[in-house]
Formats: sequence, structure tokens, C-alpha cells
Amino acid sequence: MPNRNGTAAIGKAVDGTVLLSMQDVSKFFGSIQVLDTISFDVRAGEVHALCGENGAGKSTLMKILTGAFPVSSGRILLNGQEMRFVHPVEARAAGIGIIHQELSLLPHRTVAENILLGREPSRGGLVDRRRMVTEARDALARLGSAIPPEAPVASLSIAEQQVVEIAKAIATHARLLVFDEPTAPLDTVESAKLFRVIAELRSSGVGIVYISHRMREVFEIADRITVLKDGCGMGTFDAADATPDKVIRLMVGRPVSALFPPRSATTPGEALLTILGGGNAALHDIDLTLYAGQILGVAGLEGSGKTALARALVGDQRFTTGQITFRDGRPAPRSPREAVQRGIAYLSDDRKAEGLGLRQSLRDNASLALRALAAGLALPSIANRNPGRIDALFRDVEMRAADFGVAVGRLSGGNQQKVVFARWLATAPHLWVVAEPTRGIDVGAKATIYALLRRYADAGGAVVMVSSDLTEIIGASDRILVMSGGRILVELPAGSAESEIMAHAVHGPGQVAELVA
Amino acid sequence: MTAKILTHAVSRPPTPRVAWRRINPTIVIFLVLLAAICWISPLYRTAPGLMSLLQRASPVIILSAGQTFVLVTGGFDLSVGSLITLVVVACALITGGDGSLTWIALLAAYGIGLTVGLINGAIVAWGKVPSIITTLGMLLSVKGVAMLWSGGAPEGYLPVNLRYFGRYVWRHVPLIQRLPVAVVVLVGSLAVLVWLFHFTNFGRLLLMIGDNPRAAELSGVPVRRQRMLAFVISALAAVTAGILLGGFSGVSVDVGTGYELEATSAAVIGGVVLLGGEGSMTGAIFGGLTLYALFTLLNLIGFPEPLRVAVQGLILVAAAALTARRSGTRQ
Repeated sequence: MPNRNGTAAIGKAVDGTVLLSMQDVSKFFGSIQVLDTISFDVRAGEVHALCGENGAGKSTLMKILTGAFPVSSGRILLNGQEMRFVHPVEARAAGIGIIHQELSLLPHRTVAENILLGREPSRGGLVDRRRMVTEARDALARLGSAIPPEAPVASLSIAEQQVVEIAKAIATHARLLVFDEPTAPLDTVESAKLFRVIAELRSSGVGIVYISHRMREVFEIADRITVLKDGCGMGTFDAADATPDKVIRLMVGRPVSALFPPRSATTPGEALLTILGGGNAALHDIDLTLYAGQILGVAGLEGSGKTALARALVGDQRFTTGQITFRDGRPAPRSPREAVQRGIAYLSDDRKAEGLGLRQSLRDNASLALRALAAGLALPSIANRNPGRIDALFRDVEMRAADFGVAVGRLSGGNQQKVVFARWLATAPHLWVVAEPTRGIDVGAKATIYALLRRYADAGGAVVMVSSDLTEIIGASDRILVMSGGRILVELPAGSAESEIMAHAVHGPGQVAELVA
Repeated sequence: MTAKILTHAVSRPPTPRVAWRRINPTIVIFLVLLAAICWISPLYRTAPGLMSLLQRASPVIILSAGQTFVLVTGGFDLSVGSLITLVVVACALITGGDGSLTWIALLAAYGIGLTVGLINGAIVAWGKVPSIITTLGMLLSVKGVAMLWSGGAPEGYLPVNLRYFGRYVWRHVPLIQRLPVAVVVLVGSLAVLVWLFHFTNFGRLLLMIGDNPRAAELSGVPVRRQRMLAFVISALAAVTAGILLGGFSGVSVDVGTGYELEATSAAVIGGVVLLGGEGSMTGAIFGGLTLYALFTLLNLIGFPEPLRVAVQGLILVAAAALTARRSGTRQ
């Protein structure tokens, strides 16, 4: 009988006993499977690291654990009792806390008010402020922190706010805490402090799930490591038995499938674009030459500057320094409109926010760039005058919708992306700047898109492909750049090992040798 | 797998129910109201009766069609009512009752409209001021100019040849017997607006700007220029409506008061979605007709005048809610 009310489900766990066990958990969104029979357990008094690339399923697994998503199949046992959370409140009541990357504190309230939010002690119908402060101070003291409970949260540093968030979780007697990339906003000293807090919690018998893709931290703090890839469990190890290299290989390693068309044997064509010392607020010292006939893959973590590079190339966030020279001798485009007029296509990584008018038809969306080029006083509407031209493009991208008049919002992600590709094919660009071209789309559509990009390169165009998906960076690129901190760290040849790219991206310069050697 | 399922759903031939839903419901509502009007008053059962209804509805229809250009981009144009007032006052003061100055007055009226539209558009597009604020400010400024220019209490009528557009009716026309000039102006204006909206790149791009301005910008659409032109079209439509209204009524500083909301209501009744992205000229036109038919019906049944405004408010909200539901199901 599943425990539905969940109160005090976690009793006194003895150190080392299994606190939580997720058994064969699967999750479907519609018909897309995002988690495939994953088993994962956390013991009292351990730090269990959860590693995986973006999209591997870490967040989904944790959302199931904390009650934000229901499971599609599988069981979750807390202290041996099956749980079915239908709301995060139930998970919290059962002693499961999560420290999100984005902190959820109320900035204008005091530390104590935040820690006891929703559970304020009362006396005679009024909030007992004195007891509130005492309880908050106790919770903070357990973490070895002396943050004054009366201080407003807005006056604290990010690291201090994180401690308050942790205090809030343990004040509800959480016995299982999930840390989702907690060190992302912290500097080295703050991170070290956080690790001491985590160690403190561990020794008091709390089970901890630690999500990060910083290998250094994982190996510093974790007792066990579980690796996820593409929604599948790749194994669980004692940290002592594993190496960073092994974990990285498991995170990214998979034979490159037949998704990718063969590279052409021809040597690269002439230089299409040369950048010397290009930079802006997000980019620094970019030296780069693009050659006709090549697909250039740009890899890097979130915030590495890879998307900023794409935006700079199309004039959306312009280069402010450096020498940028196109083949025709002109400088970088100053606006997206100028980029389109000069034959540069830009496919944003955020299809819904920046790519499509979801309520407009397939034809209207696919005609967008053509119409933009003809805007102004050139009046006759292209799609009205010649729908056949747009429909032919839909055949080119293997669009399978039968009615090109329906709203794009009704299509699957793959078909939506094909509409964006059709839009740019219509303008016959010589430079494609594509960001996450296959994010969230099915395998069939992926193959179509890789084939299109390759065909364009073979026809003498150049492609810059920014992607977090290393499989596609490896499989589709002729050259690979790895970025971090707004800089290009290294250029790698086609077919470089995924672990090598990941090692550069994760660790930055200087630390690669120790890992890859 | 998902793609296949969706493709299947999309490729299903449209059922009669779907085809029925594609008819703009405003047309049906208008026909029902028209039938009610004809049932109550025998006057409207004749062609001249209908022509006169159309004549009096034409300013609202033109306004609503012009306003739709702004509405589909996600904006509002609240300045059209004041602009109508200014146009009528300007025509009166420029001509001073002298019919030989009518053409100059007309040119000046369109010049004023162009200026107001350009200023509205420039402030919204380049100044990034929300259009509801910009045009609210313009409403006050334009009305202020009209009052200052006229000394606050203009009187009298426009010269006969200027009132011709709104008032004159050709008689002994075959089939319909009477043909008001206003109806010809209406048809001519709508022909231009329908062509601009539905058959040009400019018009089609307005919908995309209203749906997703960022996607439009990244695809090279000159978003700011388009936004500004939309305000210009709305203003020029208001000038045309003002010239017609000047023919119906006398010269006063209240001639255009409230028309901005009537135009917006009419467009919304016709299924133009506030905040942009959806709308059609058919909707705007039948929205205007429906609103005018409703006012006529309320008059015929002796509905108290002040309550008419309250009813208009209710309809505006109900139509917006209904449209939101309809567009929700279509996504």
C-alpha cells in the first residue's frame, strides 16, 4: 500500500542503510521516452553524485524524486515504503528537499521568515517571532553558519542565500537533500565552504544527491557516482573505483551512428570569413576563419560563449572589437536584417521564442525570410503568388504534414524545425549559423537536417553549428572549436574523441592534460 | 513516432464540422442581427434601407479595418477618435465654408493623418513606448490641438462639396435604387486595405510580428518600419472615416469621441486577437457591421442610450474571451 500522506516516512535511518530507492523508473512525455528503466538509490550519510550531459535525464529523475513529475512506470521506495508523490509538497513532507540552481527565497523577507516560510510558529494566533528566530538560528548553527536570522535575504551574498536555502530544507527535517549544480554561482572559496556544509550534513546521516558536471568537485565530494546518458543508466560506482576519464566517457561515449552523411573528400574551399581578435561583452579574442564547404562545430557548456558567437556572426549581438572580414571585403553584419540580406541564415537555439510564429501557418512561417527580403514597397506576396515555390521547399526538407495551411504550433518539434530550415533554404544563403539544430527532435528529423547541412556545405556554403550535443558535434563537423568563458580554447580535428572535447569544455585550459593523458 | 502521429492528425481530411468552424462566426451574428432589424422595422427590408444602414456604418468599418493593422502587430491605436475630431475641425477652419477650398482641406487632412501616424509609429517602434500609452498621449494631444485651433467651440457645417462624401446619395441606380457616395468610399477603401493586408508581404509580415516579433527580427523583417507603417495606415483610415463623419454631422470637438473604442471593439468582435498575431479584414469588416447593426437594433427597441455604452463594453470583453478560447483550441 503506497504511503500517500507521507508524513514522517523517513524514520531514523541508520548510517549506510538505504534511504531511498528508485527502481526501474521510466518516464514518457507523450510518446517520447526520456527515462528508461533507471534504478538509483541513496543511502543515509552518503553523497551520491549524478552525472550526465544536458538532456541526459538528471533533472527529470530529480523532478520525479521531488514530486514535480509523476513516474510513468517503476517504483520509488522511501525507507522500504512505496511512495507516489503527486505534488512537491508531499515529497517535502516526506523529508525530501531540493536546493535548486535558481534560489527560491523571498528577497525582502528576513532569513528567519524564509527558513520557516509556511510553518511559522504561532502563539495565540499571532506569529511567534522570538521562537521563529530561535528555530532559524538552530538550523543555521547546524550548518556551522552565523548568518543573523533577522537580516533581510536581499542583503546576503549568493553563497549565504544558498546556506539559508539549505537551512530551510533541514528545518523541515529533510533527510534527503538534492543539490542541483550548487556551485555554478559560487567562487572557489564559497564552494569550499559549501563542501564543508555538505560534509557536515553527511556525517549527521542525511542522504545527499549531488548533481554536477564538474568532475573535480564530483571526485572531491562524492562517495558514489551514477552516470546517465540519453535517459539510460550507465552504471553506479564507488568514487574510489572510478576515474574522471571513465565517467566522462560514460557520459558522452556512444558509437556515432549512421545518422550522419559522409564528409566529402574535397579540400576546403576559400576563406569565407576571417575574424581576428573579435570580441564583445560575452566574447573575447576570437580568432576564426570559416571556409566554404566546411561544417564548423562549436562545442561548450552553457555560458561558454558559443551561442554569443552565433549571435555575433549574424549581427544580433554585434562584435565590438576585432577585425571581421567577409569574402567580399565587407565587415560583420550590423543587424539580423543585414545578415539576411547578405545571405546569412540564423537558426536560433530557442525555436519557440525566436524561431517560429506558432499561430501562423507552415507556409507563412516558411515564407518569412523571403518576405522579409521583399518587404518595403515590393508588395505582391510571394506565397500568395507562388505557393508552389514554398511547397517545393517542404518536399526538400521531407516535410510530412499534408496540410501546409495549419498553424505551426500543431506540429512536432522535428517538423517545426524543418519549417525553419525551409525558410532559410528559400533564401539560398551562403553561410548558415545554426544553434542546437536538432534539440528536442526525433531521430528521423535529425538525419534529414544533418543531410541538409552537409548538402549545403558540399555545394560551397559554410556552416557554423553550435551545439551542446557532442554526438552531433563529432558526427557532423569538419572542424571542432571548444569554447569556454567566451574564448575559443582549442580547435580539434574532425572525429576527435568525445571525452577529449568534454574534458576541454568542462575543465578549461591547463587541466586537460591530467585527464586525457 | 510523435511526428508520425501528428502527421496523421494533420493529414486527416477536414470534417464538415471543421469546415463550419472556419466560417467567421461574426458573419453569422451579423446576419442574425440584420434579420432581427428587418423583422422589427419594415424600412430595412428594402434595398435603400440597407444602403442607408451601410452608409452610416461605413466610418466604423473603415476605422476598424485600419485599426486591425495595428492590432495584429500587438499594438493599440487609441488616437483615431481624436484624429477624426481634428480632421473635421481642420476641414471646417481651412474652408471656412468656402467650397473652392475643399481640395486643399482634403490634402491637409491626409497630411495631418500621415503626421500623426508617423509620430505614433516612430515613438512605438523606436522609442519602445507601449502603444497603449503612446496613442493615449496622442489622443489627448490631438484633441488639444483641435480645441486650441478652433477656440474650443467650432460651429456650423462643412461646405456642401466636402459633405458630399458622407451625405450624398445617387438616386435611380438600377437594382439598388439609391447608392450613397459613402458606400463607394467604403468599398474603395476596403479594396485597398484588404489588398494591403492579405495580398502583400507587408500585410502578411504584420501577423508574424504580432505572433513573434523576435523571430521576425531574426529572419530579417524590418520590424520597426513595419510597425510604423501600421500606425500610418490606421491614421489614414481614421482621416477617411473623419471625412465621412463630417458629412453626417456638424462640426464640434466631440465629433470623433469614443470612436477609438468602437473601432477596437468592432475588430475584436471580428476575431482580431488583442496582443497580436491573429486577425483578418473579413473579421474587421463584419465586426464593424455587427457593432453598427447592434446599435441600430438597440435603437429600434428603444434601449436607453447610456446603456448602449455599457453593452458595448460587455460585448468587447465577451468577444475577446471567446476569441482567446477559439485561438486556444486551434493551437
